[in-house]
Parts: sequence; structure tokens; C-alpha cells
Amino acid sequence: MADKIDIENVAKLASLKLNEEEKQHLEKDLSMIIDHFAALSEMDLPDDKISIHPLGMHLNLAEDIASKFLTHEQALSNAPESKDGQFVVPPSLD
Amino acid sequence: MDNHKLPISKINQLFKNKELKPSELYSEVFERAANTESVIHGHLTLFQEENIQKALDADKRYEKGNNIGTLDGIPIAIKDNINISGHATTCSSKMLSNYISPYDATVITRLKNEGVLFTGKTNLDEFAMGSSTENSAYGPTKNPWDSSRVPGGSSGGSAAVVSAGSAVASLGSDTGGSIRQPASFCGVVGFKPTYGTVSRYGLVAFASSLDQIGPITNNVADAKLIFNSMNGHDPLDATSLTESKAQQPKLKNAKIGIIKELMGDGISEDAQQEVHKVAKLMESEGHEVVEVSLPLTKMSISIYYLIAPAECSANLSRFDGVRYGNRVTGNTSSEMMELTRANGFGPEVKKRILLGTYALSAGYYDAYYGQALKARAMMKKEFTDIYNDVDYLISPTTPSDPFKFGEKTDNQLEMYMSDLCTIPANLVGMPAISIPTGLSSQGLPLSVQLMSPANTDNTLLDFSQSLESLVAFSDKPAINGVTN
Repeated sequence: MADKIDIENVAKLASLKLNEEEKQHLEKDLSMIIDHFAALSEMDLPDDKISIHPLGMHLNLAEDIASKFLTHEQALSNAPESKDGQFVVPPSLD
Repeated sequence: MDNHKLPISKINQLFKNKELKPSELYSEVFERAANTESVIHGHLTLFQEENIQKALDADKRYEKGNNIGTLDGIPIAIKDNINISGHATTCSSKMLSNYISPYDATVITRLKNEGVLFTGKTNLDEFAMGSSTENSAYGPTKNPWDSSRVPGGSSGGSAAVVSAGSAVASLGSDTGGSIRQPASFCGVVGFKPTYGTVSRYGLVAFASSLDQIGPITNNVADAKLIFNSMNGHDPLDATSLTESKAQQPKLKNAKIGIIKELMGDGISEDAQQEVHKVAKLMESEGHEVVEVSLPLTKMSISIYYLIAPAECSANLSRFDGVRYGNRVTGNTSSEMMELTRANGFGPEVKKRILLGTYALSAGYYDAYYGQALKARAMMKKEFTDIYNDVDYLISPTTPSDPFKFGEKTDNQLEMYMSDLCTIPANLVGMPAISIPTGLSSQGLPLSVQLMSPANTDNTLLDFSQSLESLVAFSDKPAINGVTN
């Protein structure tokens, strides 16, 4: 049996507000899934070459030069709130 | 009119011979949609009115003899997690209910350049997370063969509309089987290319090291045509391959390995019999079929459900109510983000974000995510080694035929197991195709999956085409009493 999942802490890390019903339900579901991982987490595996590209290729990062993509208006076109060409958000501090 | 069922090369010939116009075919697929959408709900949006002028433009190109290529004037549906400029991209989520894309995905740009006519956007499990489309915020898609059953997922809409004839072909995305599993459930062809051959730029990311865009079609030749119109290096995708050289498997007297671990417990008798049936047909053509063992495939569900949620938790952090998507107001930015995400995401997406966050969190990273990466590397080695001995691998595409709505929603592990056969190809980056081959004892579609080494996509497609001819599966579903 894996460690009991601290659902409130994980939800906080994921920036997700959960109600009590969701917390109970998700804690049960996630515990069941994590238990399923036990066989994998107990395997003795070598520290082989690990790559985020499944074929082990290098990432082709773009040159760091400005190029035309979206206009200012296009970039703001889906913003929930904008003003004077800027995204508007609530205060960051209480 | 049954032109929508014809191979694309045949349709193109009719266009060139002036026996059929692109605008007539365009109308035909929308007539099909009018008859089928009320039953299957495959499309979230239809583009009929806005694209009719483009169909008429294609007519003129053929009239003048300066059509662009074979895909010119072909109606294709697009999964609603792929961006088309000026159209909604909802990812079947409440989070993006008002999002209008300001740009085209690279695959869309390339298909537009070929003269493709888009029919609309298709339904999916929210953010492509699911195996049944039951996780769509806009209601599930129904299987054209039996509306009490799921079409598979996450590209359930894309598979259902091809099966129902309301598009000649479609695009899906495949993270753990999301093209192949629904293609199998709907009795059509689904192809997941080698990772990095088709640009992911403009595909809303779920798990970036696993996601690939690919075609869902009526036949293998159409899949090959669409794949080769979309593939090639794209500087806008850092994971896009710059070269794709590989030793090609044999087309004649080939050696095919049946994966032992995908033929036992948890795989239905029907699904296993289908593989044996196809193996016999291949042997009759001079191919050699052997049983092979890939022990880590038994771990693939665990490996996948650590890596994919970990990547999803990072990718979906961008939905925070600031730059796009819906917002729920709060007194502070952090409160706004928590409320927005709580309101915008559905239960399965929340579950996977939390699972990934947990697997990446301090104290658990090495035991879970780190361990999954090591196992993935080992699994890749197992497959590389086996391809020294065989040309192709074969397995069922799905452990069973299509299941009923609600049948697996209370047992998440059982739902996750429906991707058991398809996940390995995503974990090791190799191409894989699902080919419909017959009907189950319940009269529902069954398929086999063929896989080959990375960067042998066109050879795999050629070999699949010969298998498709051998099997000669041609059954189609009836919707509202009308057979497609």
C-alpha cells in the first residue's frame, strides 16, 4: 500500500480548488491508481539513458530572434479581461 | 450518393474527369451529417456555410485543370484540439468554450496548401484524456455501429464521422491510443506516425513526449496520402525530426511477431482470434509469424499513467484565467486561478492533473516519475532488440470490442486498461496502425494493430495495405436505417 495521498496539499500545488465531495472522491481514486504503481516502483531498473524525446533526439530550439507571429490585438483577443493593451488580473497580494 | 466512401485517389480521378465536383462531394458529406449527427454527435461544429465558397473555388481549379494535388477538394474533419485560425478550439472543455484560435496549426497550414476542405471540428474526451468520449463537456459521441456503445476515445468524434460518412477522412491525436482505439471501435483505419514526423505545433498539448497527430480514414491508402501531406520538419516544433533515416522492414517474406503479453489475460477471445486469423492469412502469403515476448509491455499502463499525467499537469498549468479561456473572478490572482481551474476542468482532467502533480512532488519524484522514465528507456531497448529479429509486430488494437456507455466509468483502472495494446507505441515513439479486419460475435468491429521501428512509417503503411487487401473487410454501419 502506497503512502496516503495528502489531497489538500496536492490540490494546492496544482492550483485547484476542490470541494469536500471532490476531495473524498479523488483521494479514493488516486489512492487506487497509486497502489497500481507499486509493482513498477519496486522494480530494480538501471539508470539508463533517459530522454524526454522518445527517440532520444536533441530538441531543436529556435534561434533567439524576434519574428512576426501574433499581433498585439490577436494575443489579447482571447483574454478574459484586458485594458490599454495589457492583460488585467486581480491583485497578487491580499 | 456514395462518393464519400471511395478512396481519395478515386475521388480525385472523378474530379479530374469532371464526373464529380468538389462542391457536390462537399454537399454530400453534409447531407450525411444531417442524417447522422442527431444520432452520433460526432461534430462539435460544422463549417458548411463558411466553406462552400472554398468548395466552389476547388471546382474552378479542376475545371481549368490546375488543381493542386490529390487532396484538393477533399472534405476532412479536424479533432477539436487542433487549431484552425478563426474557429473555436474547445478541446471539449468548459475551460475553452469561448476560445477562438488566432492561428493555424502546422498540419492545418499544410492541408490548406493542398486544397483540403475542412468539414468541422470533432468531439473528444476533454483535453484528449479518456477512451470513450464520455469525458466531453459537450456530451458523448455514439458509436455508429451501435449507439448504446462508445466510439472509443479520445478521438471518438473523428473516428465516428469517418465511419458514419460525414467526412471522407479526419485528423485525430494519439497520446496512448487515441487515434487507433476509436478507429478500431468504429471499424475504420487509424494511423499514429513515428513521434516527431508530424508537427505538434498548434495541437493543444496533453503529454508532449507522447502526443502525435495522425489520420483516421476509410482505407490505408488514404492514411498514407494524408500522412505524407502533413509530415516533414517544422521549426516551430522543437521535437520535430530533422531527418528520418532507418533500415526498412521487408515487404515480402517478412517476419511478424505476435506479442505474447498482449494475447493473454484481459484480452477477449474475439480479439485474440482476430490476430490468429490475420496471422494465418499472412502466412499464406509467404510471411513468417512467430510469438515474441516483450515483458515490460505488462508495465505500460503504469509507466504511461505516471508520465502522461506528469506532463499534463505541467501543460495544463497554462489554463489559469489570465491570457485565454474562461475566468472565475477572485479577490487575488491565486484565488482567481484556483476557482477558474476548479470551474473549467472536468473530473477526469482534475484527476490527471492531481496525479501528475503528486508524481512530480518532492519526496515522490524518484519513486514514481523517475522510475517511469527508467522503465520507458528499458521498454524502448526491448523493442529495439526485438526489431533485430522481426520486421513487424502485431497485436489486437483493443482488448475487447466497443463497450457500453457507463460500463467502465465506475472502474477507472478497467477504463485505463482499454489502452493496454496501444500505449507501448507511444512510449517508444514507433509508428502503429489499426486496421479493421472483422466483426465480433456481437457484430461489432474488430481490428489488429501493426507496429514497426521508428521512421519506417511508409513501409508500415505499404505492408498494411497488402494486409488490408488480404482481409478484404468492407462492412459498414447503418445509421437511421441507412448504411454508410
